[in-house]
Amino acid sequence: MATTTLNPAAPAYRSGLYEWLTTTDHKKIGIMYLINSIVFFIAGGILALVVRLELAQPGLQIVSEAFYNQAFTMHASFMLFLFVIPILAGFGNYVVPLHLGAPDMAFPRINALSFWLLPLGGALMASGFLATGGAAASGWTEYPPLSGSKFSGAGTDLWIMGLTLIGTSSILGAINFLVTIFKMRAPGMTLFRMPILVWTVLVTSVLILMATPVLTSALIMLFIDRNYGGHFFDPANGGNAVLYQNVFWFYSHPAVYIMILPAMGIISEILPVFSRKPLFGYKAFVFATVAIGALGFSVWAHHMFTTGAVFLPFFSLMTFLIAVPTGVKMFNWIATLWRGQLTFKTPLLYATGFLTMFLIGGINGAFSAAVPVDFAIHDTYWVVAHIHYVLFGSSVFAVFGGIYYWFPKMTGRMLSETLGKIQFVIMFIGFNLTFFPMHQLGLMGMPRRIADYAASAGWSELNLVATIGGFVIAASMLPFLWNVLVSLRSGEIAGDDPWEGNTLEWATSSPPPPYNFDSLPEIRSERPVFDARHGQPVGHASQTGH
Amino acid sequence: MSTSPRSRTGSGALVAVVIAVVVIAAVVAVLAAAGITPQRLWDSFFPVGGAAPATDRAHATRSLYDIVFAIGALVFVLVEGLIVITVLRYRRKPGQDGLPPQIHGNNLVEIIWTAIPTAIVLFLFVMSWQTLNKVEAKAPEAVHVRAVASRFQWQFDYLDAQGNLTFSQNLPIGDGGGLVLPVGEPVLVSLRSMDVNHAFYVPKFLFKRDAIPGRENSFEFTVDEPGTYRGQCAELCGAFHGSMVFEVHALPVADFNTWYTAQVAKAQATPTPPPSGAAAGPTLELSALNVAFSTAALQAPANSAFSVHFKNNDASVPHNFEIKDSTGASVFKGDIVTGPTETTYGVKALPAGAYTFNCTVHPNMTGTLTVQ
Repeated sequence: MATTTLNPAAPAYRSGLYEWLTTTDHKKIGIMYLINSIVFFIAGGILALVVRLELAQPGLQIVSEAFYNQAFTMHASFMLFLFVIPILAGFGNYVVPLHLGAPDMAFPRINALSFWLLPLGGALMASGFLATGGAAASGWTEYPPLSGSKFSGAGTDLWIMGLTLIGTSSILGAINFLVTIFKMRAPGMTLFRMPILVWTVLVTSVLILMATPVLTSALIMLFIDRNYGGHFFDPANGGNAVLYQNVFWFYSHPAVYIMILPAMGIISEILPVFSRKPLFGYKAFVFATVAIGALGFSVWAHHMFTTGAVFLPFFSLMTFLIAVPTGVKMFNWIATLWRGQLTFKTPLLYATGFLTMFLIGGINGAFSAAVPVDFAIHDTYWVVAHIHYVLFGSSVFAVFGGIYYWFPKMTGRMLSETLGKIQFVIMFIGFNLTFFPMHQLGLMGMPRRIADYAASAGWSELNLVATIGGFVIAASMLPFLWNVLVSLRSGEIAGDDPWEGNTLEWATSSPPPPYNFDSLPEIRSERPVFDARHGQPVGHASQTGH
Repeated sequence: MSTSPRSRTGSGALVAVVIAVVVIAAVVAVLAAAGITPQRLWDSFFPVGGAAPATDRAHATRSLYDIVFAIGALVFVLVEGLIVITVLRYRRKPGQDGLPPQIHGNNLVEIIWTAIPTAIVLFLFVMSWQTLNKVEAKAPEAVHVRAVASRFQWQFDYLDAQGNLTFSQNLPIGDGGGLVLPVGEPVLVSLRSMDVNHAFYVPKFLFKRDAIPGRENSFEFTVDEPGTYRGQCAELCGAFHGSMVFEVHALPVADFNTWYTAQVAKAQATPTPPPSGAAAGPTLELSALNVAFSTAALQAPANSAFSVHFKNNDASVPHNFEIKDSTGASVFKGDIVTGPTETTYGVKALPAGAYTFNCTVHPNMTGTLTVQ
């Protein structure tokens, strides 16, 4: 292994704040994406604890109804728009140029701009807490007329402005990723030799480019309605309240895939490395990713089955069908592990946790695709359980897997395996304790977004269990933060390639120098570093299908 | 990175089984200690705790749920079992320095595990479409009610065959309130919203439908059994969304007809003129706007009758003025009036003390009344 001491650029990581504030290096920008996202993850988590504390028992104990609505609205807004989407973009930022053998993103300055729009947008959104009437409180979906000027205060305007900036950040980032992927690949890096993570970022970027402008238009229409007497969504003046839901979900359902596809990409990087096998069915995986992206645009109205305003059978069929490519991925992942040599380092633990929870999150989603069943469970805690199994149990577990996997590359030091495993066990238990009972609460008829419930409703026990689980999840963050702080100073030195990785980021130093590579290995398959380690690619001809 | 050799690998599977058994035993023990029987646990995986659905349509939905649940549970057991077996069986053992077989894929198995899920979801789609046709079926209705939703209450308008209003139920819950329906007769409910989006949701009907301004949704059902069924708004409508509850009172047909006739007679009777100036003493001014009272504190003289001049400024929203003593017992309850309107309530003499006042329809509208 090459030593980092030979690398003249390594000390750049110790340079001052100014260097970070002005950098256009995709690696530093990627790390800033991660840090910014984790800050909002903690803020959103605290808001979630407020919600869980309030629901722990019947009666209103700690917050007013009005603040409760702000808490869950901003919890979801932070988690979706300022944590899950940006942290996956952050991994993309850090890893994609390395995966492609590229020196940086195609447009480094635009890359910096798309990062800096995020804390700005987030601060704008969060500043609603200081406004008269508090932050946005109509749920992260902000349906009019409730989000209109008659019922919601200035916090909603700040929310709209913040989210518009965040959307702009996404659009700029998507263009940057697309150009980078199509134009910046190293010699030999054909499309079908790209790591799956790059494929998922590619499809995600197309989704962002097609969907996010639609969200922005919905937000601008809402802003005009609120402030300039527009009547887009005002039925009393010829508008249509359901129009907003159509436009909003035309973005926000593909957004679910924006929030899960790169997570699938991370899992698809981790599983082959720790099972010492190639990803099973690489091409099937690519086609499944593209299929999910395409089908993702034809299922938006499954969020609107109970509006009575959508053609139910079509959206039911499409929603069922999207389970097929998702299932293909699940089987390919398991087949990757099958007959492998599994080393249970922390990243693989998170990846197997992902498999289990994504399985549950897929199955409980099928209930909602069956329209009459959706009539019963829509807008109940069942849906809260479903979204958290997909976005927390799956995306967030993949995110932590990714942090443990790439932290050595980013910092040159290993995270503690012991603390990582402790965190995993606590988080896995806490997660299931919090969100599994929500299935049962939903079936018992507990609607989402209520601040209080009657003791006689029979929901008290399960709510208490969920609240305890929420605090267990919070506790799991402590070993993680401790691990990061300690390992940054005194973690074991990682070396270039601590995991025996497959992809190009492991062919450079840890952390990589500016512009990433002094030299590149030959790229003759999707595992160039594996090939360099073990000689000729094994079974390579059948893989690339010449 | 751990540097210790993996010498414990051989007993790993056994350890895993022991851990699993201990965890399961602990969970069962905790549940048993909390009085949760296996039967209750099983029932909790079905709508409303496994209770019998309350309408004809809900039975169809429940059958569909059972099918989806059975397939979902089967898929979970098979795939999760596969994950667990793989994870336990293929851990790297000491001395495994060579690479495992480098298998890149297999087109046949890809086709198989594409085709099987496709068949399953198409089956589920057909089943759910058939059920949907049952749930959405139309039949000539015996009773037509328009549920009017506004922040944060329900009102139920009973309509005649021409769709004209016969009478309204202003109180969403309790005796003398709620959505009163006959058992065994087809009911048509249409939904109207006066302000924001709401949703009509009765868990035991396994059904909800949104009430959206500018759009009149409707649905039909027949209630199976007499009883009281809890309902609630299911679409976020503002701060007091969680208290926007209602009840469905399902009565045998004969009882329903008696109740209905009495309501019609009451609505057609000449309303008694408001006792204007009937009550002596001072007049307190109070108004309601945006589901809030104009003041949170009122004063009245002790042991002397007084009047309350009440203006309801909320269009189409019913309010009233009720006084409760310190024990929470109601000592005065004014008639509910739907805005915009005004009325004067005559209140008999009250002993000195601290009282609260509220709107019967909106328990969140409260204030204090000091009698001295």
